[in-house]
Amino acid sequence: MTIIPFPARAARLYGGPVVTEATAFRDEQDDSVHTLAARLVAGEETALEEVYDRWSPLVHTYALRALRDPHEAEDVTQQVFVAAWRSRHTLTPGPAALPAWLVGIARHKVADARAARAREAGRLAAVVALPGATDNAVELPDEEVAERLVVRQAVEELPDPRRTIMFLAFWEEHSHAEIAEKVGLPLGTVKSHVRRGLMKLHQQLEGVRHESR
Amino acid sequence: MSHVDPEQLAGLALDPDDAPADVREHAETCPECAGLVAAFTGVRRRAGEDALVAPPPGLRAKVLEEARAGGAAPTAPAADVGTTRRRGVPLWLAGVAAGLALLAGIGLGRLGADGGDTPEAVQPPTDDSTVVATTALTALDSDAERGEASAVQSDDTFTIRVSASELGDEPGVHEVWLINVDGKRMISIGLLASGDEGEFAVPVDLIDEGYRIVDISVEPDDGDPTHSGVSLARGELT
Repeated sequence: MTIIPFPARAARLYGGPVVTEATAFRDEQDDSVHTLAARLVAGEETALEEVYDRWSPLVHTYALRALRDPHEAEDVTQQVFVAAWRSRHTLTPGPAALPAWLVGIARHKVADARAARAREAGRLAAVVALPGATDNAVELPDEEVAERLVVRQAVEELPDPRRTIMFLAFWEEHSHAEIAEKVGLPLGTVKSHVRRGLMKLHQQLEGVRHESR
Repeated sequence: MSHVDPEQLAGLALDPDDAPADVREHAETCPECAGLVAAFTGVRRRAGEDALVAPPPGLRAKVLEEARAGGAAPTAPAADVGTTRRRGVPLWLAGVAAGLALLAGIGLGRLGADGGDTPEAVQPPTDDSTVVATTALTALDSDAERGEASAVQSDDTFTIRVSASELGDEPGVHEVWLINVDGKRMISIGLLASGDEGEFAVPVDLIDEGYRIVDISVEPDDGDPTHSGVSLARGELT
């Protein structure tokens, strides 16, 4: 009962130019994620290792930011990958499926950890009067955190020079002209890298949004 | 209508002053392109996060150990991969089949509750067939309900059942397509010849390959066999 995430743009999938566009969005990276997901679903343990190596920083950082406790974050990270392995048959292989799916599981595990924490706090509060157990006032909502981390992960995974160019443009906020000088590429090439990089990040983010609704 | 290349829109999102005037003008008047520009801007705003923090090195071994120990899924027939495959049910369908009877029930119940005029929905499967995936069909430009579709496995045949509603009265025939989730490929599986109901046998391989988005288009009688680009309803089988 899922609704496709791109209803407003769906019509663009048809006809010649549209196919070109979809093709441009795809690359070898996507294919490798797709293959990895398929191997995981088939129950290959080495696939779990690869999935862990590639996305455990994303999951761990998310848990760390959401729970603000290194031990709990470690526990949640473990739970997420074990749960991912055990429920691997629920994964539908696709280019953005893995990070999206893992973030979805991580959200559940974080919620569980919070619930456990609240129960614990409840028990304690019966004995000692605790000041407000949570202070979420200044924190970003989980969803926003997850999206920002997904963007970071997606940039890390870009092939160079695009990766470097994206960091210079978005993290260090250099102008395209400055970047062109730094990396020794024509200005037009730099612009194209930044644009395509942005499109790729968008694609990854859309995947995660779709999956975690 | 011709849209601007997404790369140009990305450029516009990054630096409006750097974009050609025609691109800017188009994005000002075209909601779709404007939406994409806004999405790109949103992504740009989410850049800047600090480096991700890897978990402690010892955790990897713990995860793998626990995964190996508890190998099989506790509730689902995932361990039974071999058998599942022999029956010809794709893995992703097998995985969800168990919960679907329940889900379908809820879905239909809800439809009846808030729709009032429940469309003649998916027939209950006969003894030897199993509904392995379903989807609600909705309009593309809103969440308006447009009926349901389901994938039914019966012995060695695989059928997509469509039960659409409120497709409108735009002239033309209603054609049913399966779009691949990769967004690159699509295939026509037939016409809704009588009313809004139809059953279409499809090779199960298609589903395996990711053709899971059911789409209903309206096709003018113009001799062009490709998708008209006008989709009335859509849903992804899950």
